[in-house]
Amino acid sequence: MGRTGARTGGISARYFSSRIVIYGLLILWAIICLFPIYWTFTTSFKVAVNVTQGHLIPWVDFTPDWRGWRSIGLSPDTIGETSTPREEFLKRFENSIIASLCAAALAVVIGSCAAYGLSRFNYKFGPMRNKDISFFFLSQLILPPVVLAMPFLVLYKELALLDTRIGLILIYTLTVLPIVIWIMRDQFDTIPTELEQAALVDGCSAWSAFLRIILPIALPGMVAAFILSVILCWNEYFFAALLTSTSAKTLPVMVASQTGSQGINWWSMAALSTAAILPLIVIGIFLERYIVKGLTAGSVK
Amino acid sequence: MASVDLVDVRKAYGDHEVIHGVSISISDGQFVALVGPSGCGKSTLLRMIAGLEPITAGEIRIDSKVVNDLEPKDRDIAMVFQNYALYPHKNVADNMGFALQMRRVPKPQIAERVKRAAEILGLVPYLGRYPRQLSGGQRQRVAMGRAIVRDPKVFLFDEPLSNLDAKLRVQMRAEIKELHQRLKTTTVYVTHDQVEAMTMADKIVVLHDGVVEQIGSPLELYDRPANLFVAGFIGSPAMNMIQGIIRPGATPTFEAEDGTQLPLSGAPSNSDGRKAIYGFRPEHLTLGGPVKTEIAVIEPTGSETQVVARLAGQKIVGVFRERISARPGEMLAVAPNLSSVHLFDATSGQRLQ
Repeated sequence: MGRTGARTGGISARYFSSRIVIYGLLILWAIICLFPIYWTFTTSFKVAVNVTQGHLIPWVDFTPDWRGWRSIGLSPDTIGETSTPREEFLKRFENSIIASLCAAALAVVIGSCAAYGLSRFNYKFGPMRNKDISFFFLSQLILPPVVLAMPFLVLYKELALLDTRIGLILIYTLTVLPIVIWIMRDQFDTIPTELEQAALVDGCSAWSAFLRIILPIALPGMVAAFILSVILCWNEYFFAALLTSTSAKTLPVMVASQTGSQGINWWSMAALSTAAILPLIVIGIFLERYIVKGLTAGSVK
Repeated sequence: MASVDLVDVRKAYGDHEVIHGVSISISDGQFVALVGPSGCGKSTLLRMIAGLEPITAGEIRIDSKVVNDLEPKDRDIAMVFQNYALYPHKNVADNMGFALQMRRVPKPQIAERVKRAAEILGLVPYLGRYPRQLSGGQRQRVAMGRAIVRDPKVFLFDEPLSNLDAKLRVQMRAEIKELHQRLKTTTVYVTHDQVEAMTMADKIVVLHDGVVEQIGSPLELYDRPANLFVAGFIGSPAMNMIQGIIRPGATPTFEAEDGTQLPLSGAPSNSDGRKAIYGFRPEHLTLGGPVKTEIAVIEPTGSETQVVARLAGQKIVGVFRERISARPGEMLAVAPNLSSVHLFDATSGQRLQ
């Protein structure tokens, strides 16, 4: 009895020390990962001196100041008043939200249909089979967007899509579509075809089998693809800078434009960035489990 | 309930034909097993009946109505899949009621029919559970429940028991048979396990390389196999087969390749010197007789004794009710039961008598 007691004591001591090491490393890694967010957030409360001297800890290194937030009209003293910068910010924010959500939704709908086809039916497009077609979709990511800059500028000019939200939604849909197709194809591949066949025998048509049986099962993957698309579109800068000017400009472009001729407005840039990453943080915290679930193959069985 | 008729049904993928003209007629309420080694086309045939696989040529009739171009949903069939194919996002009751829901049956009636099916299958306590919370046998029952709530014309089973362990398989085998006796729905059951086919079916269709080798009741197939393939496929341990030549005469005999003489009850006409295969089942050997064999292995199981012995340079298996005390290497005198000897042509493999 005493011996087993000693042994379990030894095991638990080893267990605890290994836990301490593991958690220590994880905490260190979390600090490294979260530091840029912390730095951006605190910088929005700094003045020029604090920024250049690298002060980090509020109330110890520097005294927090609302200057950054005041510059976009979101500090406590300016929030009630009319503010042009705030209107500008809210407009950009709205543009970003609408462009990302619509593009992601469109990409998930189109991409799911394409992926389902690639997963279930055998296509022949010239010499290309399903595998080649899938690779063709994915290969669109290899092309650097810069190559497309001129053609798209000309195309959008002709179609009168320049500086419109619709134009932005269309190009964002196009850029995230390959990733959505890839994720959703993997998702559909994990679902046994017998499920559709059972549904067909049970009285479904091909479409209702897809909508009533397959889609609900593939939902975690769709949510993951949707979130990933939103994040990618939200962060997109190049096409936004290229194809929009005044009315459809998005947040990343506005953040970048804070580097004016009189130097960089660190505080307002930091305040803008904080506001810009906030939705992503919310997504990350609340929907993270869907992303993990959706991206883990074989989770649906 | 309905009859099912397959008339010269063919299936080809491009130029490659896999089902070479299969004709089967299944009468109302019959339990038919499609059996054969893997790759013989039995699952393809079943899926063609279900409408999940288009047919290249021929005709499939359910209840005397040609269903070649009918969608699966319009054929009024229910199918049980090998991996059960339960909808993972629906609970047991919804899984079983889905087909009725698709046919716009009123909700109270669905609930009533699901409950009745669940009672038959002993699933009442599990109606609220999801498939992932069930054991293999329970999932199997849900899959069957999904089929029986429909009260379809035909049940199609695609190797439904092969994912279960041996003990559960025997139990479910009896349950399916009992269910069939109770519901009397026409059933087509695909299996690669000849024991399953023998024990469950009213009629067995033996398939090999996309061709029907023989159709008959289990005992017909066992007692009078039409050819070497059926003779070797049906029965366990398998039938013993010895190559040689038929010697008719006053006392017809069969001469094995090494000269060993084996008794025959009679020889088919014009068979003098004909190359043939002499077949007899392990249990159709009796102790004591004209044929000398050398014992290789003795396996007593208690109820019977299985003997592996050498005869005419070939290994044969004998199963005896008696207990045998001989040792490996010793000679054992046996006699094949003359009325149970099968003769097959050596080149065509067809039955001679």
